[in-house]
Amino acid sequence: MKVALVGQPNSGKSTLFNAVAGYRSLTSNFAGTTVEYTRGQARVDGVVLELIDLPGLYSLTPTSAVEEVSRDYLLGGDWDVIINVLDASQLARSLELTLELLDLESPMVVCLNMMDEAARKGMTIDTHALELALGVPVVEAIGGRGRGILETFRKAQEVAAAGIRPRAFIYAPEAEGLLEELAEKIADNTKGRLATATKKSEVGTGDSGFRIQDYGLSRAHHPAALSCGTGPCAAGCCGHSSAMEGLQSPRAAAAVAVLPAQPPPILAPTDPQATSLQSQIANHKSQMTAFPPARFRALQLVQSDPNHLPTEIGHLALDFELGNPDLGPLRSSPGSHTPAPAARHSSLVTRHGSSDSGLSSVEWAREEIALRTGQPADAAISAARHAACLTVFERVARVARPRADWREQVDRLAMHPVWGYAVLAGVFLGFFRLIFDVGKLGEDRILAVFDAIVAVLTHHMNAQGALYAAVKGAVLGTAGAVAIVLPYLLPFLVGLAVLEDIGYLSRVGYLMDAAMHRLGLHGTATLPVLVGYGCSVPAVMATRILTTRRDRFIAAFLAVLVPCSARMTVIFALVGFYLGANYALGIYALNIIVVALSGAVLARIWPEISPGMLMEVPAYRVPAPRVVALKTWWRLREFVLMAFPLLVVGSVVLSLVDFYGWQHGINAALSPLTALLGLPRSVGLTLIFGVLRKELSLLMLMQALGTTHVLGAMTAAQILIFTLFVTFYLPCMATLASMMRELGWRLTLAASGALLALAIVVSLAARGVMLLL
Amino acid sequence: MRDTANFGSPMNLYEAGDDAELRILLITGGWEVRRSFNQIGIQPGDHVRILRRAPFGGPLMIDNQGTRVAVGKQLAEKIRVEVLP
Repeated sequence: MKVALVGQPNSGKSTLFNAVAGYRSLTSNFAGTTVEYTRGQARVDGVVLELIDLPGLYSLTPTSAVEEVSRDYLLGGDWDVIINVLDASQLARSLELTLELLDLESPMVVCLNMMDEAARKGMTIDTHALELALGVPVVEAIGGRGRGILETFRKAQEVAAAGIRPRAFIYAPEAEGLLEELAEKIADNTKGRLATATKKSEVGTGDSGFRIQDYGLSRAHHPAALSCGTGPCAAGCCGHSSAMEGLQSPRAAAAVAVLPAQPPPILAPTDPQATSLQSQIANHKSQMTAFPPARFRALQLVQSDPNHLPTEIGHLALDFELGNPDLGPLRSSPGSHTPAPAARHSSLVTRHGSSDSGLSSVEWAREEIALRTGQPADAAISAARHAACLTVFERVARVARPRADWREQVDRLAMHPVWGYAVLAGVFLGFFRLIFDVGKLGEDRILAVFDAIVAVLTHHMNAQGALYAAVKGAVLGTAGAVAIVLPYLLPFLVGLAVLEDIGYLSRVGYLMDAAMHRLGLHGTATLPVLVGYGCSVPAVMATRILTTRRDRFIAAFLAVLVPCSARMTVIFALVGFYLGANYALGIYALNIIVVALSGAVLARIWPEISPGMLMEVPAYRVPAPRVVALKTWWRLREFVLMAFPLLVVGSVVLSLVDFYGWQHGINAALSPLTALLGLPRSVGLTLIFGVLRKELSLLMLMQALGTTHVLGAMTAAQILIFTLFVTFYLPCMATLASMMRELGWRLTLAASGALLALAIVVSLAARGVMLLL
Repeated sequence: MRDTANFGSPMNLYEAGDDAELRILLITGGWEVRRSFNQIGIQPGDHVRILRRAPFGGPLMIDNQGTRVAVGKQLAEKIRVEVLP
């Protein structure tokens, strides 16, 4: 049985998921996007449930790409029951999504999470009254403490097995008559499409290819659920009977839609309880009608911006908007359902209502709703829904005086116009300090272990052979990867998950928004850029919290421009050691200027479209260790799978280059660059090594020059130019791999080219200045 | 034609005083803006309060029925409000 966990951001959905699904859960991307969701399995009362934890969404009419993908998944219908997780302390607002989900008229359970939080706010919620108001089971839960979680999943199973479907919640009486008519038209249209449609849905649940399914007919139809009970619709019942006929012909059914293949069945055939459950569900599915329901489609058409329609509904919209002759304007004269207000505007409405007006049914319905309510149709419907939520809220909840809360005091400090920044600096300095102190300890030990392995190899193998060179390369590559991952990335990811779950990151976004606007970014992009000072790999991974591709690109670019800790080693070991600490700090200062200028230039090249920050600031929460551990594990696993092979292969190749003595060729190939920068020809190879791991450019420099006394072999000016170039040029291979993953190869290539050009310009400028002096 | 942005109150959310009880009269701007406010649960008719504001033209933090929301300057300027007594 497939259970979709749906909830608004910060509703504690993932806590619920993680409480029952194990570490084997997979984070996957929706096909063709970078939007992630998590799927896992849980055994509840002996039945295996397949859980899909969708990214948080505020409503089914989304504004961000992430939400759009979640919504499309839901409308794809590849699930058996919805668990709608609500933050009880935000009940009024959370109900907005719930009412929209009810419009799907599909099995659903409401999990009223964070009841403790609500109690702290002085709220008491009458769960039974809420059940009555919504018409779906409501389970109280405190996810963080594991309370109510099993009950929620049990209830979900029951509801799915019994095929209990809620009625749509009627909240906009002015619009309802029009919606009904539109729904009827859509249902007729769907019936007509059965034979011809070959719509290919883009909703993906995996990368396992596509398979034809009886999508669109796979939802059971509850006789009372749709608007069929009323008026002329009763006989035809939304094309119900015809839909049934359509289904009986496999070809017709197959023609309805092509959907991604379902993942392999998770239910063991030997499990009798499970099989019977599955057959029950299949049985419910056999009484079929179109999904999403016609009324839901009508609602979406009326209130959506045409560009944001779900793919499944979008094609319908096209038919309507383009004035498909079969789909002329609504039949009824205005006011047949809600008589009063139409009279006032009769002339206008008649014009719109007539078939030669050129207006489609949808446009006509929008106009009519706008006339009746005095505001645009989408605003009217969302206002009506909002009002309905408040009414339900007032009916089921009592709010007393909230208990005195220490968290308000914390925010008074943490978000203070002056002290807030001091706290911010303190938190990040402490965070980095901790990571590097822990990391340094670990790195030395890990590298010592691998040095010992190399010593053993040298002893037992023919040190002159190519095989030895390759094996040594592989060992050193693994050493590099392990020495990044364990000591630095692991504590960093733990710390990041903790900061995220406490709720501090959104405070950082609030504080830094104004400053980040100068770089063409929003406050939320602060984290990746700051993290860049530690390690570029997690910095690039952290850009995922940003919503647009543009923001992700600019943030990733600036994050890799900032010198990471490996480049810090190079800067201090070369410039700091040979030229003095002030020069090293000067490089940092110059870097900040370059970052600011690059941000400004990028913001001009790729202008901002999003209108600004609008972000919920969640209450502080104590992070659940299990959630932190799982988050860390997923991110770590992802890095290991992506970067390990690259580092090992790259290291082997460089060992072989060294073994066969190809460095002369490489130095010759790079000689135009080294000559341009006025550097010794032999440093060419070190720049290649630097791409593998940044510190290697330092180690290989000494090897290439044949001395550890760099100042003897290079002038002070050359050292400075070399360091500047290494600071700015290409990011290391692991970073490039994560950029490929987050941004795609085109943008990665563009960023690499830009960084290389930037490095040359900065180094040349430095050379020019020094020649003048 | 009358500019809807100036309809009703002469004040937008960003100009309103801190800690006063405000009522949202109108959200100006297009579909996208209305939708984003609607999503986060802010609608005309709601009572909100400005809790604090970030310096240098940074966002406002407002309280909307117990929910804390950070609203950037540009977006806050798209909300017309009136001060409740």
